[in-house]
Amino acid sequence: MIQIANLRKEFDELVAVDNLTLTIPSGEIYGLIGPNGAGKTTTIRIACGLLEPTQGEVRVADVDVLRDPERARQHIGYLSDFFSVYEDLKVREYLDYFAHAYKMPDAKIAQRITEVIEQAGLEAKCDSLIQGLSRGMKQRLGIARAMIHCPKVLLLDEPASGLDPKARIELRNLLRSVRDQGATILISSHILTELEGLCTSIGIMEKGRLVRTGRLEDVVSTGAQSRAIRLQWLGDAAAQLHELLSKTVAASEPKLNANDGEFRFSGSDDELAQFLTQIVACGIRVLSFREVRQTVEEMYMKLSTHEVM
Amino acid sequence: MRFWKNPEFVRHLRAELRTARAITILGVVLVICVIIGLGCWGSHEAQVEAYRRGNQMFGKPPAEQLAQLESQGSIDEWFAFYRFLIYAQMVVLTFWSLLCCAQSISGEREGKTWDFQRATGLSPAEFLIGKLLGEPIVAYFIVLCCLPITLLAGWLGHAGIGNVVSAYLLILSGSLFLGLAGLWMSSLFESRSRGIGLIGTFGLYLFLAFAVYLIDSSFTGIAAFSPLTGLLVLFRVDIPDRVATIFGKAVPWLVMSLLLYSTFGAWLVLMILRGIKKDFDQIKPLSRWQAIGCAAFLNFTAYALFHPQYFVTLRGWETPLHSDRFASFMVGVNGFVLFAMGLAMISPHDRLKIWWRSRVGVRSLLAEDGPPWPWLVISGITGYALLAWGMFAWKKDVGFDRSALLVGLIQSLAVLAFVTRDILFLQWCRLTRMRAPLLKGMLYLGLYYIAATVLSVVFGISSTVRGREALALSTPAGAFDNATSSYSHILFVGFSIQVALIILLLMATAARLRQGASVFDSSAA
Repeated sequence: MIQIANLRKEFDELVAVDNLTLTIPSGEIYGLIGPNGAGKTTTIRIACGLLEPTQGEVRVADVDVLRDPERARQHIGYLSDFFSVYEDLKVREYLDYFAHAYKMPDAKIAQRITEVIEQAGLEAKCDSLIQGLSRGMKQRLGIARAMIHCPKVLLLDEPASGLDPKARIELRNLLRSVRDQGATILISSHILTELEGLCTSIGIMEKGRLVRTGRLEDVVSTGAQSRAIRLQWLGDAAAQLHELLSKTVAASEPKLNANDGEFRFSGSDDELAQFLTQIVACGIRVLSFREVRQTVEEMYMKLSTHEVM
Repeated sequence: MRFWKNPEFVRHLRAELRTARAITILGVVLVICVIIGLGCWGSHEAQVEAYRRGNQMFGKPPAEQLAQLESQGSIDEWFAFYRFLIYAQMVVLTFWSLLCCAQSISGEREGKTWDFQRATGLSPAEFLIGKLLGEPIVAYFIVLCCLPITLLAGWLGHAGIGNVVSAYLLILSGSLFLGLAGLWMSSLFESRSRGIGLIGTFGLYLFLAFAVYLIDSSFTGIAAFSPLTGLLVLFRVDIPDRVATIFGKAVPWLVMSLLLYSTFGAWLVLMILRGIKKDFDQIKPLSRWQAIGCAAFLNFTAYALFHPQYFVTLRGWETPLHSDRFASFMVGVNGFVLFAMGLAMISPHDRLKIWWRSRVGVRSLLAEDGPPWPWLVISGITGYALLAWGMFAWKKDVGFDRSALLVGLIQSLAVLAFVTRDILFLQWCRLTRMRAPLLKGMLYLGLYYIAATVLSVVFGISSTVRGREALALSTPAGAFDNATSSYSHILFVGFSIQVALIILLLMATAARLRQGASVFDSSAA
């Protein structure tokens, strides 16, 4: 749905985006993460046709954004971080303006406005002036605006910045429902926890380059030779457990407390299940036994400190 | 798309003319109209009363004249009322249009709403129409509220339908032209430089307000840029007895205004359409060929509007006009045109870098994103060709001799060298990391010319010739000096210095571009 090839953008002597190549299939929620100045906003602005690249190609829904920006824009919904709305319009008028601006057929506009107002949860405020809305509501209105013309692709640049936790959860749910309707979403953020649990794929950008990209679980597990296992038990079994771990070849780095602990396991799922059976057979009363997944944040920290390349 | 369905127009209509606000505006307009009406009636009554007393006490004016004045009184009162209403509407509509449009795009940029508009499917033309008519919607509503009262006053004041239509045509065309100028200026300024844009806006309004005084200049027709000129003529107000001319042929002021608004407006429309949906850094008002065309158009307009009978120099009226004075004057005009076109030709930073990497052979010097100097040379040649043609066109009045053409050529070369140097300096500024490089570059150029003038004055204290030599070395003024023949070698030295500076600037620009290219190469590797 989104294809970016050899994209490069220079501002004076700064290379904001450096040879970026990226393909996002239809129906994905793709998270673009990276620190401020990594080139996320520039990438999204180029993908929208708002900024001309120094070189490279961007295609959205098989339309070349640089050669045919007007047609490409019909497939794109865009929301930026420091967004603003026309405070002197009413919610319905605001959406009506953008519906007409995106050249929707007149007959479909009223119904579509009602739909997006409902989807964004703004029914109670649809005839209110925008200046009276809270920031969270304005953000939801921004999303409603971005999807008013049923775009195939939503490009969201830091959409949750400045929102309180409740508004963030609402935004996340709203984006999921938009994805369920078939839209492909490219979302950028430097708040990593914001993207976890929402994105299906992620890309990590640093200094204009895409240093890692792929399915979320693949990217998160990249570089890890073993997985972390966390367990809890009842009674005084730490010494016994330590001995068992030292005898198991696949287990390493045990860090055990009185009733809980963690170790790394490099074997297969079968071997892990076998190990669990073994400790239960030894009479250790296991309360919980689970794999601790690496978070995007941990992965990102490792990447930025070059622990993982 | 019909303009009343244009989303941008509808947005302004909804936001700025909600029912309560519209009713308030209507009320205020009615009150102001009543006040103006009472003022006109009071003034006329006071005048009649003064005549009446004069008649009673001194027998002047005679009784018949007084009777005529009294019988004519109501008509004059209504006409004065109509006239003031037209003036008021002109001020409101033109000022509002210019001010609102001049803050339109820059305001949207500052409000962070501009990108969302650009991301929609609205075409540049739809943007233009929506903003041009939508931004000053309140002013148009005020005029609409005034319209019935004005028509009534005009009818009772025996103004005539032609007078009313002409007045409104002038006001509307003037406000549309100013709106276009405002929109264009607002597209060139971002939030950081918005203040300068506003200063430019007020400057433009002041120019148009006082353009009526250009009626006494060598370009009488330029006074038609101000709708006030046409209105003053329409209302038979005392202004110098001048006619607007095109190649010496008299043209009605209304027609002249419409001609100027439509032709200059067309260039503004072109520049707006080219840049309105582009990112701020990518805006280039005209393509290279368009800039050449615009330079030719401005030169042509200067020859068309020129009026040899009203030729004014710093020493006063000059008649008969000699061909060398005419040539010098037109080369000076072309100097300003060249500089303006040079500004329009300056390449955005990254476009120039891309050109640098992909350039092949000498032909690439004429590429659209290449350096501006080859095109400045073409503009200069066009300007000189038009000078020769202009002298031929005006040969009956100014003569046509070879020496004037030669003087014009030397002056054109000097002007071209200085303008090229200045434009290349601005292009170099654009390649640096300066914030608002063009504005700062212009400021530096301004400071340079002030310093050069001050230095010449200082040198001139001890010897006038020294002062003139200093001026000839650092500015193009020497080429226009009648006494140049006594120090023509200095003129040549000044010209050589400028050529050397041009080469230096080209080298500095190339060094900057090479720097960028090496970053690109290492990154690509």
